[in-house]
Amino acid sequence: MADTVAQSTMNQRAGMSLRTRRILTHAGIFALLLLAWEIGSRTGLLDPLFYPRPTDILASFWRVYVTQGNIWFHLYASLGLVLAGFVAGSIMGIGLGALVGFNPLVRRFIKPYVIVLEATPRIAVAPLLIAALGFGAQSKIAIIMLVCFFAPFINTLSGVVNVNEEKLELFKSLGASKMQTLRKLVLPEAVPVIMAGERLALTAALSGVLVAEFIQRDQGIGSLILTYTRNLNMASAFACIFTLTIIGFLIFRFMEWLDHRIAFWNHEDGLNRNAQKRQARWSKKLATA
Amino acid sequence: MMDPPKSNRPNALWLMSRFAPHLALFGVLIIIWELLVRTGVITTIMIPKPSSIGASIIDLYFVSGTIWPHFFITLTEAVLGFCIGAAIAIALAVGSSLSDPFRRYVMPYAIVMNVTPGIALTPVIIAWFGFGMGSKIALAAVISFFPIFVNTLTGLMQVDNEREELFTSLGANRFQIFTRLRVPAALPLLFAGLKIGLTTALIGAVVAEFAQATAGVGVLMNRFSFQLNMGASLATLLSMTLIGLILFYSMEFLDDRLVFWRREERREAVSRKRARAWKRRAETSGRTR
Repeated sequence: MADTVAQSTMNQRAGMSLRTRRILTHAGIFALLLLAWEIGSRTGLLDPLFYPRPTDILASFWRVYVTQGNIWFHLYASLGLVLAGFVAGSIMGIGLGALVGFNPLVRRFIKPYVIVLEATPRIAVAPLLIAALGFGAQSKIAIIMLVCFFAPFINTLSGVVNVNEEKLELFKSLGASKMQTLRKLVLPEAVPVIMAGERLALTAALSGVLVAEFIQRDQGIGSLILTYTRNLNMASAFACIFTLTIIGFLIFRFMEWLDHRIAFWNHEDGLNRNAQKRQARWSKKLATA
Repeated sequence: MMDPPKSNRPNALWLMSRFAPHLALFGVLIIIWELLVRTGVITTIMIPKPSSIGASIIDLYFVSGTIWPHFFITLTEAVLGFCIGAAIAIALAVGSSLSDPFRRYVMPYAIVMNVTPGIALTPVIIAWFGFGMGSKIALAAVISFFPIFVNTLTGLMQVDNEREELFTSLGANRFQIFTRLRVPAALPLLFAGLKIGLTTALIGAVVAEFAQATAGVGVLMNRFSFQLNMGASLATLLSMTLIGLILFYSMEFLDDRLVFWRREERREAVSRKRARAWKRRAETSGRTR
């Protein structure tokens, strides 16, 4: 017993050192790439007008965030729209998906439209919506809503429809009510799928806001990137793009966290956490009793 | 031919009974829509009359044929971009599946590319590749890269250990294991990735056309919606749906042909064909002996 524990810690330590070594090599390669880029640009192999130097990009980061600080306004504008459009779009998607999923007749009649709409690039509707709703926040939110609508809609639909037949049979034969079937069978199977749809939707929302701002260039991070590129201020444009990388990463992590919280039964750690919580509650109840 | 007679071939009456309700519903919806616009409940600027959309479709597609050059330009951009993106993605995925260090070095960059909304690169790519088709192809390639990469890699990495043992015990070498075991196992996932990639490639081409272009369906659509010619604008949107459907179903067809073992009928058809070929070969070789 003690032996295996010692061995595992030793393995862990060896693994740690291997890991740090790997991280170091990765960082080294990354630094080399940057260095090659910088040197290439300084010796004139790469035109710095189009391919900005890493040091220039860093300087631009400093400028757009600190000395000029002009990115904050655009960032707030874009992220506010993303949030509003995402919440509205995904609520609509989940609601309609559930409505359609639980009703076979509606499902049959709506299917051809869904296929057609799925084949259309959703973002393509952006100019139409801007023309219909006018310039301003509402048309941008409408675009994001539309982009966010589909993944949750389709996933809710398929999550609700693709319930395990055998389990459903079992529930019926044991005389479960509709509400019980929903709560104990349909939702546990559908929620992870719906969460996957939400994850796609939030990523799509970020693209949606950019497209909306490319077409309607008044404010927001998309129009900022466009303006910087038009002025051939590529270093600042890249600072904005890498900002979006960071936001994209944070969104990814946030959705992962949310998934582990909401659909906890689908993940080992969430399951354990919940089991412990329940155990604590039950033992407390037992103690008071 | 030796094809067995299909017993359940749909006849005209069955088709009628199946599609009539759908068509009827579609007709009723169109009439309600038309009436709503005509009576002024919906303004024409927001949503055009179905009859004006129909008129635009007839004009754009059949009478003046304005749409066709743009249609083929966008189609070419999407397909070329997709091919480039898919080729790079599959090459990197195969490399990553064969070598652990290679995968470790590629993965971080692939992930960074994934969390960055590819659409954010649109202005930069246009600055790099110009206003013509090159920039659209490049954006389509960038956007379609990740889903294909991730699906191919996942497909190639999921190995059935027992099967691999069987292969090695029968004396298969690494190349044979790769081509005969890993690739067939990866194909279904690969095709799922290709389908997603194809749709995203179309989105990339269209968005780049919105941002800046001289020709293409996106340009046409932007122009019509700025003229508030909503009927023509929606008719153009329909052409994007058409491109999407063409691309999706050709990929589906390829999927069905190459991954023939997934569908019962196709599997049987292929095995019958192979049996016949083998029999013939056995006969000819017997004769020469």
